[in-house]
Amino acid sequence: MAEQASGPATPTALPVGVALRIEHATVAYDGTPALQDVDAQVLPGETVALIGPNGAGKSTLIKAVLGLVPVTAGAITVLGKPPAAARRDVAYVPQADTLDPEFPISVAQVVLMGRYRRTGWLRRPGRADRRIAAEALAQVGLADRAGARFGTLSGGQRQRVLLARAIAQQPRLLLLDEPFNGVDALSQDALLTAIAALKRHGAAVVISTHDLTLAHLACDAACLLNRHMYGFGPVHDVITPALLRATYGSQALELRGDRVVVAHPVANRHA
Amino acid sequence: MRSVLVEPFTPPFMGRALAELLLLALLAGVVSTFVLIRRLGFVADTMTHTVFPGVVVGFLAGGAGGVFPGALVAAAVTAVLLTLLTRSRRVTDDTALAVLLAAMFGVGVVLVSRRSSYSADLTAFLFGRLLAVTPTQLAQTAAVTGVVLLTLGLLAKELRLRAFDPQTAAAMGYRVWLLDLLLNLSVALVVVAAAQSVGTILVVALLVVPAATGRLLSDRLAVIAAVGVLAVAGAGYAGLVVSYHASVTYGLRLASGGTVVLALVALYLLALLVPLVRRRPSDVVA
Amino acid sequence: MSWLDLALNQAFNRAIVEAVFIGAATGLLGVQVVLRRLSFFTMAMTHATFPGVVIAAVVGVDLYLGGATAGVLAALAVVALSRRRGHDPSTATAVALAAGFALGVVLLSAQRGFTKDLTAYLVGSILTVTTEDLYVAAAVTVIVAVALRAGHKALTYTAFDRAGARAAGYRTTAIDLGLLLLISAVVVTAVPAVGTILTLALVVAPAGAARLWTDRIATMTAVAVSLAVASTIGGLLLSRSWDVAAGAAISLVATGCFAASMLAGPRRGLLGRWLRRRHRGPGGGRARILVP
Repeated sequence: MAEQASGPATPTALPVGVALRIEHATVAYDGTPALQDVDAQVLPGETVALIGPNGAGKSTLIKAVLGLVPVTAGAITVLGKPPAAARRDVAYVPQADTLDPEFPISVAQVVLMGRYRRTGWLRRPGRADRRIAAEALAQVGLADRAGARFGTLSGGQRQRVLLARAIAQQPRLLLLDEPFNGVDALSQDALLTAIAALKRHGAAVVISTHDLTLAHLACDAACLLNRHMYGFGPVHDVITPALLRATYGSQALELRGDRVVVAHPVANRHA
Repeated sequence: MRSVLVEPFTPPFMGRALAELLLLALLAGVVSTFVLIRRLGFVADTMTHTVFPGVVVGFLAGGAGGVFPGALVAAAVTAVLLTLLTRSRRVTDDTALAVLLAAMFGVGVVLVSRRSSYSADLTAFLFGRLLAVTPTQLAQTAAVTGVVLLTLGLLAKELRLRAFDPQTAAAMGYRVWLLDLLLNLSVALVVVAAAQSVGTILVVALLVVPAATGRLLSDRLAVIAAVGVLAVAGAGYAGLVVSYHASVTYGLRLASGGTVVLALVALYLLALLVPLVRRRPSDVVA
Repeated sequence: MSWLDLALNQAFNRAIVEAVFIGAATGLLGVQVVLRRLSFFTMAMTHATFPGVVIAAVVGVDLYLGGATAGVLAALAVVALSRRRGHDPSTATAVALAAGFALGVVLLSAQRGFTKDLTAYLVGSILTVTTEDLYVAAAVTVIVAVALRAGHKALTYTAFDRAGARAAGYRTTAIDLGLLLLISAVVVTAVPAVGTILTLALVVAPAGAARLWTDRIATMTAVAVSLAVASTIGGLLLSRSWDVAAGAAISLVATGCFAASMLAGPRRGLLGRWLRRRHRGPGGGRARILVP
């Protein structure tokens, strides 16, 4: 983090052995346990895929890592600290389609939001912040769209803008919630390139996805989740037909080699 | 022509009414921008009704001087209540808001209905007396405007982040409930400031229409706020001129607060026509 | 008993009958309003029908007709404005509400007796209902009941799954518009009796309370209608014994039912949640453990 522009220097010691440590954690959502006994860890410079069907608890786990959802048993440690204390060095990328496309805000303003926490309350981002934001936007290949309204971009481009915002945060742990959903091939390449660059700089990356091909392509390790943890380890050891069938249960229709065709049930309609 | 436009403001009460409206323009233009991006239309409307019992209690306890503190207390209480209600997912937001609105308004009406001058009092509380604005009220409005603009100015970037992407705001460690509370308090303060001049019910127009007008003309938050301020200022001036001449020249008594709001709505309708006249360049590029 | 007592009794009896009809109509419709989150729209209708009533009074046509016309125009305005850029439904609704009400206030202020009429519009005057009003209320109640019974399947389907309903051949826009028109019909009928805000209370509070007791639409409807009718009658009796505005008393009883349900409702009530939390035992509510 040599480029740190403003705000106090990062307080913790720089070489932390493990970026994210999850120890037999049970996570509750709205009073009921959503995910039980997850045990995993992510090293700096490593990318881990969270894989599982819809409703498996992937998003809840990400929220727990952010300290937004309580850990009722076990522990989650982020950069050597409790989750809520580590947020300054953690960046979160939501799904682009959860945001209002009509919102009156430009692409450059969205990316600049990544600098807010380092700017502090009551102050405006400075010139150095703007430079970092512009560089982050260039890194996802959208420097020419800085002035456009966020909502006028395509879905894939919006996802890239949100990643640029996370890059501008200069995180040591990056959390992405289904970043490849409905994203065009060009944007997917841009996202993967930018994520790889972050890894080279020593950031740990967690990606929730149900795209197994992408998990293979982009991730070092995988964590299979569906209410419980069904496996954690290097991608080739974990993304296996047997473990996937266990994770997806009846939703796994067909397994060919390492490819699984997963049925995404359409909402039941009883008319 | 000049006399038609300037003459109405020679009586001091008309000058004070204009000054009050210009202050409210500054206040409402900015606050309504945040109401727009947070989609707080119904919350704003609820506030206008929940401040009402505070106005009544203040008046019953301390006469005209008690109205401002009474409204202030009710505003603070309802801002907190609304922040709590909209945080819990137990009831859908709009049902809870509607019930709170109806209950608080019912309390206000019950209190007024025990008085002998029932309907005149009720009308004054609900529609204000724009032409009876006192220097004290002007000072109160100026103070509220100063406090709210300072708060929103300092927190503009955080409030925008919270409106645009609440998940990430929470992930970054912002206390979303605190930002919500501060904005709700700001909205409530607008209602307090405007309650005595424009009246509690028509305040909702000041909290929604200015930014809605700005949004029709621009994608930029600062421009939307600026258009909002200008719209309320213009409508305030035009509304006063029209109601003055209607009264003096034609003997037609028009409620001045209502006339101002109608002028504001007219500006909004004009802004609706703008896209028909010119195509926006940004749409062409996209 | 003197003739005066008799007359008063008759006025009060009429008020009771009106209250029952309005309670039934608002309770029935309220279920749809709560499930579809149309509370703010209902609120806007109570205010936006105002100029129609004023104009009708000035011109000398039927007040219900004036209110209904303004209601239809306001509903169309909300639908049209919601499609403008950057306008979410709440902005569009608030614009329609503010515009309509300001127009009504300005028109009315040009008349004599401004404050009295305005008060009547805001808080209603259920004790002065005429026999003709009763016929209108009865007719609207029957129309609402028949329409909701006939459209029950279509309404539920579109509320739950719009795209699916359209695929199944329902004309969703027509169904939506029909519901909005029913809301404006009930609003136009109820406002003269109980006033604007209190109409909102009667539409939303009983149905919102019923929602806290059950997940089934049929049960919810029955509970909502019972609560609404009970609120109107209870409020009337309260207002007579305590000498407060009838509309406000009715509204407070209705919102009181809602508050009580929020505390005690078995499914989502605070009490129920607390009991369930205790029931789960110590494991469920354990404090978070964080290892630094």
